[in-house]
Amino acid sequence: MQLPESGIHVQGLTKRYRRSEGGKGLLGLFGRKTVQTDGLIDANFGIRRGEIVGLLGPNGAGKSTTVKLLTGILTPDGGDCTVEGIVPWKQRKRNAVQIGVVFGQRMQLWWDVPILDSFRLLRDIYAIPGERWKKRLDELTEALDLGELLSVPIRQMSLGQRMRAELCGSLLHEPSTLFLDEPTIGLDAVSKLRLREFLKSENEKRGTTVLLTTHDMADMQALCPRVLVLGHGRLLYDGALNTLLRRYDSQHRVRCSFAGEPAFGEAPRGLTVKAQESEWEIVFQPDQIPVDEVLRWLLAAGQVREMTLTEQPVDELVAEMYADLHLT
Amino acid sequence: MRLKAYWTAFAVQAKQISRYRAAAFGGMVTQAFFGTMLVALYDTLIGDRTLFRETVTYVWIQQIFFRAFFTSDTEFNEQIIQGAVCYTLLRPVDLHLWCVIREMAGKIVNVLMRLVPMVLLLFLLPEAWRIRPPESTLGLVQFTVSLGVGFLSIAQINLIVSAVLMRTMDNKGITAMINLIMMILGGNIIPLTIVPERIQTLLRYQPFAQMLDAPIRMYLHTMSAPEWLLSLGIQLFWLAAMGCLSRGLWSRNIRRIELQGG
Repeated sequence: MQLPESGIHVQGLTKRYRRSEGGKGLLGLFGRKTVQTDGLIDANFGIRRGEIVGLLGPNGAGKSTTVKLLTGILTPDGGDCTVEGIVPWKQRKRNAVQIGVVFGQRMQLWWDVPILDSFRLLRDIYAIPGERWKKRLDELTEALDLGELLSVPIRQMSLGQRMRAELCGSLLHEPSTLFLDEPTIGLDAVSKLRLREFLKSENEKRGTTVLLTTHDMADMQALCPRVLVLGHGRLLYDGALNTLLRRYDSQHRVRCSFAGEPAFGEAPRGLTVKAQESEWEIVFQPDQIPVDEVLRWLLAAGQVREMTLTEQPVDELVAEMYADLHLT
Repeated sequence: MRLKAYWTAFAVQAKQISRYRAAAFGGMVTQAFFGTMLVALYDTLIGDRTLFRETVTYVWIQQIFFRAFFTSDTEFNEQIIQGAVCYTLLRPVDLHLWCVIREMAGKIVNVLMRLVPMVLLLFLLPEAWRIRPPESTLGLVQFTVSLGVGFLSIAQINLIVSAVLMRTMDNKGITAMINLIMMILGGNIIPLTIVPERIQTLLRYQPFAQMLDAPIRMYLHTMSAPEWLLSLGIQLFWLAAMGCLSRGLWSRNIRRIELQGG
């Protein structure tokens, strides 16, 4: 079966992990059996060139397995996949030239040497022509604010600086596809925002395809219009992040304060009112009571001084979704 | 093939290893001590003075190049255990060759760091216990070439251990076993030149004698061209055999490596 040349295509991709497990006690040393864990089971999806897609799922859902299969690090037990027309595990070296990868929890740059030396080594490994490398390095140094760090070894850097250096390292050879496995893990707010901005501009300017895994829902919302949800190695959802969240967004909360004592009329069914010091908190389900009805009812109660409408925190939604999909 | 990439791998690894100067110094002191003990022991055991002087030189060369027996690329082995080997697998390079080169860079730097101070240190010993210069310049050339081949075959053994590590995620057992075999059959514990003649011929053809024993013999006695080529031929034969084995194991195990977590 011929898969298209551009973007990422995955068909029936399956990877199982095997480990041998001894029985109990001393005799267990002899009767070992092989236990299989599902890494990824029969996954099907496609990603167009230039798309940013997020991989979502609890720990052990198969996100990293997917990334490792698409980068050619692991060999699948079944199924097909291509990245820009190349089968990763069959043509590992050819695939390596066209992809960039960052594993947030691991390091690719050499620990003890100044990062500029690492970047030089990467230039030689990827056979990047000198001038092209220089131009790209200047560009990335500027965008990632690495100018003063070039002579510093990784071991002397903060986590945020390290991540920026790592990202620079994986983009030097101008890959058409970028895989990011938890790139924002452990970063502070400023570093995160910067990283997001950078990824967005890379994607817009160069049309780089990005596949991103993260547990940070704010990253997801900021970067990925489309998400793939994995659980127990299976692909459970493929579509817009917002559509998915709306499904689980069952509770809205309105906080408001009144000038004077409010006189509430009869509350619509399914709506709860709680007094909290000088504020009132109203909780309702938007699919049962239209928001405008709630607002009209509130305005009728008195003179509203301040009001905020909050949706359920995204992390709660995701937790609900995982529970709903039997992932917890 | 990106030759430059491999050269850079060599340079970077050499630079990294050269940072471990304190370790080199410590190792040197240990080897100087151990060597002195062995020399003192053989002084009482070997009556024949010519044989004794040869044995002294044998022991010292073994001690000087001792570090080369062990892998210098502990970083790579750690990467395998911790899963960080991901990144190395992502490079557009021949992984096996890449690691052979890193291993060689480490060995060469480790040896060079120890070589000069160790030889200087030996001058503190009584003359009879010191290392003897090579028999001739030709002998030194023969020795150096042969030593290079010897290092390459040790590197293959080190990579075979790494290949086992990829499957088992623990290399303590296999490392201890292989190191012991290398020490004994490689002539580090007992110089292969002083074992009885009949066993010696047998020992000279086994793979571990090709690592340091074969070069040392050239240092001790300059060989005639055919003699040297034969000796080098045996070395190259075992290098090829072990190279094939380690390469085979690598390509098999890399495909089957399971990097879980993270």
